[in-house]
Amino acid sequence: MIFLALKDLKPGMVLSTPVHNFHGILLLSKGTKLTQKNIRILKSWGVNHIGVAGRSKKDRKKATVPDKATKRSVQANLTKKFSDVLDDKVMVEIMRVAGNRLKKRSLNKKELNERQ
Amino acid sequence: MSDNNLKKIIGKVTDLPTLPRTVLKITELVNNPKSSAKDLAMVVTDDQILTARLLRLVNSSFYGFPQKVSTVRGAIVLLGFDAIRSLLLTTSMFDLFSNKKKKGGFEQETLWDHSLGCAVGAKVIADYLRYDKVEEIFVAGLLHDIGKIVEMLFLPKEFNRVTDMVVEKNILMVEAEKEVLGYTHAEIGKLLAEQWNLPSKLVNVISHHHHPELAGRFLQEAAIVHLADILCRSVNIGSGGDNKIPPLNREAWDSLQLELTTIEPIVEEMDREFGDIGLFIDHSP
Repeated sequence: MIFLALKDLKPGMVLSTPVHNFHGILLLSKGTKLTQKNIRILKSWGVNHIGVAGRSKKDRKKATVPDKATKRSVQANLTKKFSDVLDDKVMVEIMRVAGNRLKKRSLNKKELNERQ
Repeated sequence: MSDNNLKKIIGKVTDLPTLPRTVLKITELVNNPKSSAKDLAMVVTDDQILTARLLRLVNSSFYGFPQKVSTVRGAIVLLGFDAIRSLLLTTSMFDLFSNKKKKGGFEQETLWDHSLGCAVGAKVIADYLRYDKVEEIFVAGLLHDIGKIVEMLFLPKEFNRVTDMVVEKNILMVEAEKEVLGYTHAEIGKLLAEQWNLPSKLVNVISHHHHPELAGRFLQEAAIVHLADILCRSVNIGSGGDNKIPPLNREAWDSLQLELTTIEPIVEEMDREFGDIGLFIDHSP
């Protein structure tokens, strides 16, 4: 979930929290898909920030790019393993592919752990 | 000294668990051009477990036939004799490995994963090459390191010395074997395969998976398993007992006529299928 200022809301975004006005009356419930009209109503009630489903840019980056330590250890292991055979361009390609695969696998594992 | 050792190993190999009688009988039937699907079905249906396995395998996603196959004869007609033999060989190999699992512990399990990964890899490469006997190549991948299992189970002391040397010097297992034993798992595997009367294609792949150029008319099969072995090691599917990559054999690579760009999709497919196939193996009756 991310919190967005009213000006950044776009139709189609899904609310992660219910929105109340200052009287505590429910305006929109959790899970509502925003429409242009909803956004206008929120504006007229003076709501500042609301939570919608999604990940921040920073989180997104974290999830698709392995951290430096993982990258480094994957690369170090591969270099050690392939050290005697890299005079062959096929082996160079295999090492590159294996590096990508291993980094991807470490991400999947991380995501799985986070979900549990 | 090395001669004595080899003799000792041959002695040990004769003590190795033999394949189940049914599988031997089936091998005989398959080798006989006069046998019919009916003959083969009779032998298979005699064995309930084998029947159950065969039907489950035929109906698994590995084949993806659109309709359910409910009779052994139907399965035989659909898959062909060679495929049936390969399938039965595969399932008996699983027994052989799993019975001994407790004894070998961790190392054996990772070696098993490596064999299975290599089998899957060989199948994926074979699919890319439109090679038609996929089951055979799968079994070849599964059995390529069978010599290491023999060492582990029957020459535990020597095997420990080999694995110690592998760690100490960071070398390939093959090299440590040459130094400690005087011969390699490929040679031991060959002895065993011959003992079991496996088809010469399998004998050749097992004995030449590090040097496919010596496999004669089975160059392509040996080359497929050779490449699958390298790919598995590169992405850590199980462990071949060392932390090195064997050099790619030029002749083997050239014979496959694969584009460099196919390596990435092959590795991805192999990794994915390896994850899937573990399922059907764990549920064996």
